[in-house]
Parts: sequence; C-alpha cells; structure tokens
Amino acid sequence: MVQSRSLIDEKGKRSDGRIIDELRQIKINVGIIRNADGSALIEFGKNKIIAAVYGPREVHPKHMALSDRCVVRCRYHMSPFSTDTRKSPAPSRRETEISKVIRESLEPALILEDYPRAAIDVFIEVLQADGGSRCAGITAASVALADAGINMRDMVSACAAGKVDDKIVIDINDTEDKEGGADMPVAFMPNLKKITLLQLDGELTPDQFNTCLDEAIRGCMKVYEIQRSSLMEKYFGDEKGLKE
Amino acid sequence: MQDVKRKYVIPGDIVAEGNLRALVNVFRNGNSIVATRIGITESNNEGAKVIPLSGIYFPRANDIVIGKIQDHSSLSWSVDINSSFAAHLPAQDIFGRDFSPAHDDMGRQLSTGDVIVARIAIFDRTRDPILTIQDKDMGKIPTGELIKISPTRVPRLIGKRGAMIQTIEHASSTRITIGQNGIIVVSGKDKEGITLAINAIHIVEAEAHTSNLTQRIKQLLNVPESEIEGDDDSQTSNEANETLSSDEKSISNNINSEMGVVNPNGSK
Repeated sequence: MVQSRSLIDEKGKRSDGRIIDELRQIKINVGIIRNADGSALIEFGKNKIIAAVYGPREVHPKHMALSDRCVVRCRYHMSPFSTDTRKSPAPSRRETEISKVIRESLEPALILEDYPRAAIDVFIEVLQADGGSRCAGITAASVALADAGINMRDMVSACAAGKVDDKIVIDINDTEDKEGGADMPVAFMPNLKKITLLQLDGELTPDQFNTCLDEAIRGCMKVYEIQRSSLMEKYFGDEKGLKE
Repeated sequence: MQDVKRKYVIPGDIVAEGNLRALVNVFRNGNSIVATRIGITESNNEGAKVIPLSGIYFPRANDIVIGKIQDHSSLSWSVDINSSFAAHLPAQDIFGRDFSPAHDDMGRQLSTGDVIVARIAIFDRTRDPILTIQDKDMGKIPTGELIKISPTRVPRLIGKRGAMIQTIEHASSTRITIGQNGIIVVSGKDKEGITLAINAIHIVEAEAHTSNLTQRIKQLLNVPESEIEGDDDSQTSNEANETLSSDEKSISNNINSEMGVVNPNGSK
C-alpha cells in the first residue's frame, strides 16, 4: 500500500482529531434486544454495531451437531445503509470471511465442551460503519456472550493498530484504513493474555510489527475496561466493587 | 456460619487464589480460580464458586421442571423444557410396564401443547434428559398463565424458605407453580390477582440482585404494615445462600399446594 497524502498534521493530530495513541469514544449498552439471550450495542467512534447471541440451543439441521461440544455459528452483516453508497444486503465475500475470523476469535474464549449437541448463534449487524468494524463486532459479541451467560474462559477484546505516515497509530479509522500504510486488527483475551485474532493488511518492518502489536494489545486492554464497566453497570448497577 | 467471601465478577475475573476446590461456574488456571460467568462469587473452606446472574437452563437430575409437549413417537413424548436439549417422557412412565403402542393411545393422555410438571429422572449430558411424572402432584397442568423468567432468578423468586413466593401467592390469592427451568404457571380465580402476581414476578426477575426486595414486593402488593417484617435486610446474601436443597423443597411445597394438578394415573 502506498500512502498518497499525509494523514497526520504538524500538530500530531489525525484525520479525526485524535493523537496517535488515542482510541475513539467507545460506548457499550448491554441487553438491548429482549428476544436474544444476550445482546450488546457498541458505539465505537462512528461505528454502530449490534451483537445478539442466541443459545446454547438445539441445532437445526441436526446433522450439524457435534456430540462432544457446541457449535458456534457467526454471522457478520453490514446493513445496506451502513456505508456511504448502498451496500447490497446479500452476504459478500468480505462478510463471509469476517464471519469466519470473528467465530475463530471468539471460540477460544468459550468453554464449548460444556454444551454438547447444542449451537450458539452470534449475529453481528453493522448499522453504521467507519473502519474497525470487525474489532468492534468482536468486542460487542464478547459482551453479548457474557450477557447470555455462556461459560467463558475470558472476555475477548479487540482493537486495531496500524501505520500512518510511517508512525504506529492505534485504532485505525476508515480513512486511515483506506489510505494509510498498514492495518492490524488484534483480538486479545485480557486476563489469559492470549491473542485470538491477528490479521495484517500492509507492510511493516519487524520492529514496526512488534510496536504495532504492543500498541494493539494496549488498545485491547482499554477496550476491556469499557466492556467490564458496561457489564458491571447492567448487572450490579451502582453497587460496584467488592462486597464482603 | 462459615466465613464466606463474596464479590461481583465477569468471565475471566479471579475468584480466589490458592489451594481451593473449583466448584461451579469456575475453572482453575494455575494457582487461581477464574470465573466463567457473570455473577456473585462465594468462596469458603469448601471451595470457590460463582452464582450466575444470567444464562439458559441446563438440566440436572431431580430438577422439577415445567415443559410443553412438542410431539410424540410411538414410545415417548418429546417435551420442550426451555433448554438446549429436548426432554423425553417415556410412555411406560404413564401406561406402566405393559405399555404397547398398538393398544394404548398416547394422544388420549397427553397431546401436543399440553403443559406438564415433571421431574428430570435421568440426565448425563451424553443423552437427552428423561422425565418422569411419577411423583406426587405431577403431570398435566389444566389451566393457568404461563410465564418465562430467567432460570437464574428462580432461587430469588422462591426466596428464603419460600418467603418471596408465599408473599406473592398470599397477596394475590393465586397459586404459583415454579419450574427450575424458569417456566412458571400462575393460576387463580380472578384476573386482577393473576396480573398482580405476574407483575410482582417480573419485578423480582428484574431486580433480583438488589437488597430488601421482599419488603418492596410486599409494599407493591399492599401487604399490611404489620406483616412486613424486618428480617429482610441481607436479601442479596440470602439469594446467594439459597442452597439447592432448600429450593427444591420450596418447589415441591408449591407443587403440593397446586390444587389443579391432575395426576394422570388417578384420571386413568
């Protein structure tokens, strides 16, 4: 990828006014869909994404069921009105691929052996997209899974880092994704300290790669704090912290 | 009482460290015990566990559940028990050991859509749960309003030694049958009573983790002041204290008091 114009100004501000190690505003609302077993709405900058989790429930068609564990089915979908120009509602190659990587980034956190012959359905619907929607989708899906009361080893938090003007920046937005040098989405289990998703689009030197990964993980930890506080607020309200 | 330590957790949080037994909704990671659900932890000498605040129903042997008949094969009924497994009620459970699909008409006993109170006789994850209605006051429920709550709220709805559910039943003059799977049948003579009871149940579900809940429910149901006792200050911990044995006792008490339940054996 060759960058055609500068995306960081002389004051060190990025195209949306952030500095290089600043995340966009993140807000998560838990339990917004009554019919789902667990759900979350995430606002990640201009991204607006709903995640809904159903299950564990019976698998239909039955031949898909696994006798020793649960199957996870994930659907990432962008609504036709989520982008500048209308997006066809039919699942595209990109969406099918993102559905797969999101499923694979969530599976390590779930204790699937606890629900044999069942299925967990994860629906991620992008209402408004502004770059980094797979990371925001994973973050929201993880909150929705916890809200659904599915046994999990850890939460999954996701954040991207990348290269813009040869500088490593955190939480790439749409412009930086399209015009910048590199984009690296990372999903991370914050307590187990394990990476469940690592993709890289663009070119980075080994040193840049290491810095980029460290920055992305730092972003994930910040995202985790927001996931945590949103779940705590829904379930325990004002009664926060320890209780003896 | 033993010294019990509690805190609020989400999946991945450390419940306790050291050489404790990992009980339910936790797993061991090195030296620490980690929560797998959102809930309230409880750790004492016996081990550490998490009392979950969300989640679907996972069957356990001897649970009393309310289910809806979905269909029947020539040998058993399949019953929806609000879980990821479809339960089976063998025809022999009702017709006896000399049941013969050629002579006995299963549809005459229970048909699709019927609601039953049953006990899970056998369940071990490798196969679907098997139900039985061969206990006192189990079987078909003829009338009532069916409502669904989160199965994690069932212990709270029953309350300490059945306090909560008895309060609601008294104040609304209804009979409430609770299944461990979160399905509840409310029956009564007048509509107002049933509506009142259903509202109260929904409030208990929504505010299960808050303290002083029984008292607030009493106020809502207009139970006279003299009947409001001050024994309810530590309700949040009471919720956590609800042990399974006491839940089951309360449930069977409720079912015993369920006048309308027809025992299919008796009616045969």
